Amino acid sequence: MKRFEAIEAVKEAINSGEDPFAILTACREGMEEVGKRFETGEFFLSELIYSAEVFKQVSDILEPRLLEGLSEADSQGVLVFGTPLGDIHDLGKNLVITVMRSQGFTIHDLGVDVPPQRFIDEIQRTDAPILAMSALITPAFVSMKEVISLLEEKGLRERTFVIIGGGVTTEFARKELGADAQTLDPTEAIQLCRAHMKSLDSLKA
Amino acid sequence: MIQETMSRQERFEVVVALEKPDRVPVMPLMTAFAVRAQGLTQGEGWREPEKGFRAMLDTFKDLGGFDKLYKPNLFWPMIGGRFCATPVRVKIPGRQLPEDALNQIDERELISREDYDKIAAVGWNTFWEEHYEIMSGGRPIERLKTTQNRLLDEYIREVEICQSQDIYPLFGAYVDSSIMAYSMARTLTQFTIDLYEVPDKVKAAMDATCDDLIQNALDVIALTKIPLVFIVLERGSGFYYRLDIFEQFEWPYLQRYVDAFIAEGLTVWFHFDTDWSLNLPYLKQLPKGKCIADLDSTTDIFKAKEILGGHMCISGDVPASLLTLGTPEDVRKYCQRLIDGVGRDGGFFLTTGCECPVDAKFENVKMMIEVAKTYKGKD
Repeated sequence: MKRFEAIEAVKEAINSGEDPFAILTACREGMEEVGKRFETGEFFLSELIYSAEVFKQVSDILEPRLLEGLSEADSQGVLVFGTPLGDIHDLGKNLVITVMRSQGFTIHDLGVDVPPQRFIDEIQRTDAPILAMSALITPAFVSMKEVISLLEEKGLRERTFVIIGGGVTTEFARKELGADAQTLDPTEAIQLCRAHMKSLDSLKA
Repeated sequence: MIQETMSRQERFEVVVALEKPDRVPVMPLMTAFAVRAQGLTQGEGWREPEKGFRAMLDTFKDLGGFDKLYKPNLFWPMIGGRFCATPVRVKIPGRQLPEDALNQIDERELISREDYDKIAAVGWNTFWEEHYEIMSGGRPIERLKTTQNRLLDEYIREVEICQSQDIYPLFGAYVDSSIMAYSMARTLTQFTIDLYEVPDKVKAAMDATCDDLIQNALDVIALTKIPLVFIVLERGSGFYYRLDIFEQFEWPYLQRYVDAFIAEGLTVWFHFDTDWSLNLPYLKQLPKGKCIADLDSTTDIFKAKEILGGHMCISGDVPASLLTLGTPEDVRKYCQRLIDGVGRDGGFFLTTGCECPVDAKFENVKMMIEVAKTYKGKD
């Protein structure tokens, strides 16, 4: 289905009185299917980009009708997300955020060139259990390291799962910086965050 | 130290021709790194080209010398108004960014979907002649041309000075691949949507662009007189797009580039950022011993050797994260593994994976060069 067809179908469904939550759920299921096909290699990043853009536009239409009913309690997980100080790139970050939102995650997007203290403030404000940082150039490493040090300093490190991604990150960088996970793949990011949320649930249980 | 029996130029030519050199040639693709290594701010390097040039030369010498100099300065050579790449907005340190920040591309929509038809009708060069001022919020293209021509003159002068000191800048011109050019002009997201929704328009514009880009690069090389063209690729890889898209929107134009450049006696350098594993088999269709596949460490370089070995020289791929966060010992091990696995029988150029990071540790870059000069490979 092309973008305009999908948007038309959503508008029609709204006009015919369908529950906006049911429409959103259907769209999420569609995105989940795209994610699965991406994981198996049937779909490429371009298909993910295209689908994410459709989802974003559909969400914009649905959002005013959903605002009252949605709460973070229904969320798959809450993340603070940003590109650290020294780096202004956001293509990868924005794509991952859209895909994650489509899968029911709540994202507090801090944008680009984010100072370390700003990440900490937002984690304290939102109580988010996951911090995601994306980078395309190495100067962001210094900021990432500082964020992780600050988490330790404030006693937040234990309860914050730190995931990094973006073109310049590697497993080597993850170890050196002291992050918990690293990936270049949006669907793997979802899996890692889901697994973390699941581990928190089992701890609570 | 390995006993050297070849000049820097000979060593480079030998690996491109897939023969075995006296030792593996080596080059960090350094620009911003050199500026910082000389204690300058990035802003100073950008504002004062003479300081930028001196930083390249001094850092080259401080590192003990190596086989090619990626660029003699921070800027790229171009004839005024004849764009070899999309005129992206670059945020410059000391202007739009803090004084010692790294310059970064501010990716935005520079052309609209409707502009594909215009480009298809008038070609790449004429389009930008008309569109540049609109796109740049009123900056006259004549002003840009003056700046570009002045910097090109600088580049030519700097190349001559380098060569007189037995230092050889890598490329005579650079050029964007077709997908790279349009992805940067429309942004990755919008361009991807265009490929699905208006593929014929995209194709028609690319058809009308290819010859202009080739000619623009050839005209720069006629002035710089360095017989190597550096093709900037990233967005066309199998990391982003399925192979039928690559076959339609990237590969035919790359073949045209290579045919045209080789006909002029040039060496072709493919700067393959991101993972090109799926696309590598196509490269075997290109003439043997005329091109270099430059990998940034996201493509598996050992697999690349299996596919391209004996057909195309491979360069790469010391990762940015290793140079910034690792120790000299980490770098030594990594480079030795490359020489053992990719470089021992020739056809290999040890380089940084993409550009040498601004904050790479000096001793790490030095180690990379030292390994090439001392390590023969496992017996």
